[in-house]
Amino acid sequence: MLTEPAAIRVLLTGTCLGFVALFLVLPLTVVFVEAFRNGIGPYFESVREPDAIAALELTLIAAAFAVPANLVFGVAAGWAIAKFRFPGRTLLTTLIDLPFAVSPVISGMVFVLLFGRQGVLGPWVAEQDLRIVFAIPGIVLATIFVSFPFVAREVIPVMEAAGTQEEEAARVLGASGWQTFFRVTLPNIKWGVLYGAILCNARAMGEFGAVSVVSGKIRGETNTLPLHVEILYNEYMFQAAFAVASLLTLLAVVTLVVKTILERRLHGGSA
Amino acid sequence: MSIEVRNLTKTFGSFVALRDVSFTVHSGELVALLGPSGSGKTTLLRVIAGLETPDVGSVFFDGDEATRRDPRDRGVGFVFQHYALFRHMTVFENVAFGLRVRPRDQRPSQDDISRRVHELLGLVQLDYLGDRYPSQLSGGQRQRVALARALAVEPRVLLLDEPFGALDARVRQELRRWLRRLHQEIHLTSVFVTHDQEEALELANRVVVMNDGKIEQDAPPGEVIEKPATPFVSNFLGDVNLFHGRVQVEMHDKNGTPTPMELDGERAEAVRVIVGDRVYVRPRSNEVRSNN
Repeated sequence: MLTEPAAIRVLLTGTCLGFVALFLVLPLTVVFVEAFRNGIGPYFESVREPDAIAALELTLIAAAFAVPANLVFGVAAGWAIAKFRFPGRTLLTTLIDLPFAVSPVISGMVFVLLFGRQGVLGPWVAEQDLRIVFAIPGIVLATIFVSFPFVAREVIPVMEAAGTQEEEAARVLGASGWQTFFRVTLPNIKWGVLYGAILCNARAMGEFGAVSVVSGKIRGETNTLPLHVEILYNEYMFQAAFAVASLLTLLAVVTLVVKTILERRLHGGSA
Repeated sequence: MSIEVRNLTKTFGSFVALRDVSFTVHSGELVALLGPSGSGKTTLLRVIAGLETPDVGSVFFDGDEATRRDPRDRGVGFVFQHYALFRHMTVFENVAFGLRVRPRDQRPSQDDISRRVHELLGLVQLDYLGDRYPSQLSGGQRQRVALARALAVEPRVLLLDEPFGALDARVRQELRRWLRRLHQEIHLTSVFVTHDQEEALELANRVVVMNDGKIEQDAPPGEVIEKPATPFVSNFLGDVNLFHGRVQVEMHDKNGTPTPMELDGERAEAVRVIVGDRVYVRPRSNEVRSNN
């Protein structure tokens, strides 16, 4: 039972709500107010502008690569870490968190240093007539890198909680490795996997730092939505900048709604 | 199917689970692996099932080397200590699993699977629970589902890891009797692990007493009680109440030749004895009642 005096309760709740209003509600409102400052017409104009469309496409492309790649990696890593004991297991667990630990700018730098003209693999890349840095492959790689821990982070605890007995039972009953995975392991972790994928997607679409280093910011070619917003803002095109930012905000809101639904399934679901 | 294990050794890091273990299970036997926790009995069961690979030694099924055979090709039914039911599947689907994952050319038709599953659920008296999920069942019901699931693939050996460990005393009694009847009906070679001496002595044809990764004694239940092979065995079985006696009443047929008579007990199997036979009674503390 609550025993705090009313004054303290009001103070705590007030602080919390005030904080949320100041740091979340207010900025979000500003985004939409600024986006619609000149009315509906200019809003849609800025959103439909070719460079904005190109940026949206590139953002979706980067997410379309990053999410499946990290799904496969995350489930594989979770499987290895939760179900087996092997040398290097602790190291792998730590390495998974690396993209969280290093600054995104450094994550971007790594790819420039690797694949850039002066980079370690630069000459080889040039020989193959490939462009990685300042091109779409670089953006995809950087996005994969920064959004890499999400699925694994979600899947490992779920898998560890599930243990290995059901898999052993399936093996003894005659199931092959794939059958065991698809019929026993995956159904047990599916909500965790989806939840991780949602978080991974949110990060992939919103990533700024790492992508900004490898992109080169060529308009209509290597600009993602967050980069496009920055460019417009720096050019004092505030209304257009906020209009494009509102797209990203909407993506975030959709993500949050899906996440809330999944959380309910994950923690409240009986099956 | 007969099982033979020869010179098995298995270590986990610095812990030695099995030390040079050899024994044989004959076809149709019901053998108990009895010992305290950490004695290696579960590891031995898992090596037979193929869930662990021994460091040294071999496993033979019907004389064929099967040490490295994949668990799915061994034809064993395994009942796990905590049942390991598939929690996202209904009882029906749990039992059907082993049939559904067969290669296409050996997979029974939908109707055959359904018939077989209902038959097995009938055998374990749970046919009315086919649509439930494991989380909606009691411990004893889960145990019987696990058994039905293991039997669905028509195993040639049934392996049970502490099959009654997590159940309360009354359900345990009931399931024990039920397992014994089942074994009498289908004569499936069976090995079960237990730390409960009463369970081992009551159910098994043969008891293998294990301690510290070694076999201390491998003998019929009566012999384990009467002639413990090592101090460990007599210690481990020490708290069994045993009353020895000798049959004194003589029974004759009309010609005056002595005839055997039947001794019967509530739980014991009837035995035929003749005057002069040595007998023993092993009352259990939880079944002694006062007449007053």
